[in-house]
Amino acid sequence: MLDADVEVDRRDFAVRAAVSVPPGERLALFGPSGAGKTTILEAIAGLVPLRRGRVVLRGRVLSSTGPPAVAVPPWRRGVGLLRQDPGLFPHLSVRGNLGYAPAADAAGRGDRARRLDELAGRLGLGGLLQAMPARLSGGQAHRVALGRLLLADCDALLLDEPYSGLDAALRRSLTELVIGLVGDREVPSVLVAHELPDAQAFASRLAVLDRGSVLQTGTPHEVVLRPASRRVAELVGYLGFVPVRASAAAVGAEVGAGEAVAGEAVAGVHPDRVVAGAHPGRGVVVTGTLTRCVPAGAGWEVGLGLGEATVVCRLADRPQVRDGRLVVTALDPPCFGPDGVAVPKHGGGDMKTIQGVTPAW
Amino acid sequence: MPRLLRPASAVASVAGAAVIWIALLGPVIALLTHMSGRAIVSALEAPGAFGPLLVSVEAGGVTLAVLMLICTPLAWMLARGRLPFPRIWEAGVIASMLLPPLVIGLLLVFLVGPYTWVGSVIGDLHLSATNTFLALVIAEVYESAPYYVLGAQAAFASVDPRLEQQAGLLGDRPRRVFRRVTLPLAAPGLAMSLAVGWARAMGAFGAVLIIAYHPYGIPMQIYTTLQETGLASALPFALVLLVVALPLPLAAYVWSARAGRRRRG
Repeated sequence: MLDADVEVDRRDFAVRAAVSVPPGERLALFGPSGAGKTTILEAIAGLVPLRRGRVVLRGRVLSSTGPPAVAVPPWRRGVGLLRQDPGLFPHLSVRGNLGYAPAADAAGRGDRARRLDELAGRLGLGGLLQAMPARLSGGQAHRVALGRLLLADCDALLLDEPYSGLDAALRRSLTELVIGLVGDREVPSVLVAHELPDAQAFASRLAVLDRGSVLQTGTPHEVVLRPASRRVAELVGYLGFVPVRASAAAVGAEVGAGEAVAGEAVAGVHPDRVVAGAHPGRGVVVTGTLTRCVPAGAGWEVGLGLGEATVVCRLADRPQVRDGRLVVTALDPPCFGPDGVAVPKHGGGDMKTIQGVTPAW
Repeated sequence: MPRLLRPASAVASVAGAAVIWIALLGPVIALLTHMSGRAIVSALEAPGAFGPLLVSVEAGGVTLAVLMLICTPLAWMLARGRLPFPRIWEAGVIASMLLPPLVIGLLLVFLVGPYTWVGSVIGDLHLSATNTFLALVIAEVYESAPYYVLGAQAAFASVDPRLEQQAGLLGDRPRRVFRRVTLPLAAPGLAMSLAVGWARAMGAFGAVLIIAYHPYGIPMQIYTTLQETGLASALPFALVLLVVALPLPLAAYVWSARAGRRRRG
């Protein structure tokens, strides 16, 4: 189990985060560049000092601001860190890199050599053991770096955007490889990612970070479908926010008597959760002016103007426009109050739109 | 560039480089063309002709050992920013490099001469820092150390600190990281810096002239021979200096190139 409750000073802001990762769980820290994700990993690895907090791995206190103050040096932590740059030692062959971690004794060295050959085969590096790192492709270098960490018998694995810069297919295969290997070893692992698909592909749990704070934690699906705030929604890819008017009847039951949300709220529209046409039973029906329509992947990316607001959506087929107006349905969109916090919904309410939006629940 | 002009451009580049190379080698070419075999033989057959050679090699060897033991840690600390006010430390190293060797010699008299406190401490140990082998080593160290420190600093700075960090996270203590990662990666640069330090030590003259006139090393032998019997007699010793001093830098160069090739696979 990895428990980290850390506060680290940075030049721009302090990073404060608490994460708890059971053995075998894969946590992804997701957020924009500069949100403090890497700082959290470095705090766990003992590479930056804590202002306050505590890091505990498998019951062993690695850092604590005390009392008593504890700061186990990085080389005694048993924490493996894989960065975007695989950081292979250029003067050592692939075999030298894989077997770099010091073995405790001669028996350990013998066992290491056997495991090295076995792991090299599993990583597809069997024929490259004598090659120098300069000769490796990006994917091969990452596999060597990963194998090196696994052979070091780390108690926790930290992955700092390890696959940025690699093509999508390679990222997918490496992620699957990591998931398999981490699962076999039952170690807690933490991935830092600023691309949501990378985080979703890896993680069993997702924590969204912004300016040094964890905004929401949950399963990747949960976080994307039910963002806790408008900021989280923006970070996980909601590109349109449609003004709606929520009556007390719509939301009052869940926010508590007398605390009904008044005034304007917005419904978040995720581009991938929109279908063409009006389907009032499935979400919010939005009617707007087509502002753009460009090919995106196998479908079309469409811009929909709603007065001041704009909604971006990705549709499978090229939309049919009548009189310059297009009707789409945002599937079960989350709704945020004027303070940006998500408003719980329940069926049977009568949310009214401000312009161009028809309520669906 | 039009395809026809490419070969012409390549030829012009090689020709330009050759001109520069020959110009740089001018003194060596002059040395080789102005000596006869007879002059070399008669100079080297003179009684005690090899004494200065031995003194130079010994003093150069001791100087290299001092540079490695004392200046290498300083270079590493400068490269890794482990010293407070690093620009001041660097400025000190550069200042000692800018001083003309002759001036270094004059100032060393004030520093380690017999009437200074350092000189008296050395005297208490029944040693002397003027006109002794120790004085020769001191002069050579002062003439070569700044070049070695700056070169070694650049060699250490070229090692990515993240590799050292990674080695630490894999379980290596800092001393082991230095031995297994930092030193091997900086080694080609360190070897070249040592070669420069060796060349400076073997050719040290200005400071040596002031505080270590005796025992004669080869540069002093060349100078006194020139004074006493003329240029023709002095030149063979210059050739000896070149022949003796060249193998180490050449070996360092070849080894560095080989290490680079090995890393590139």
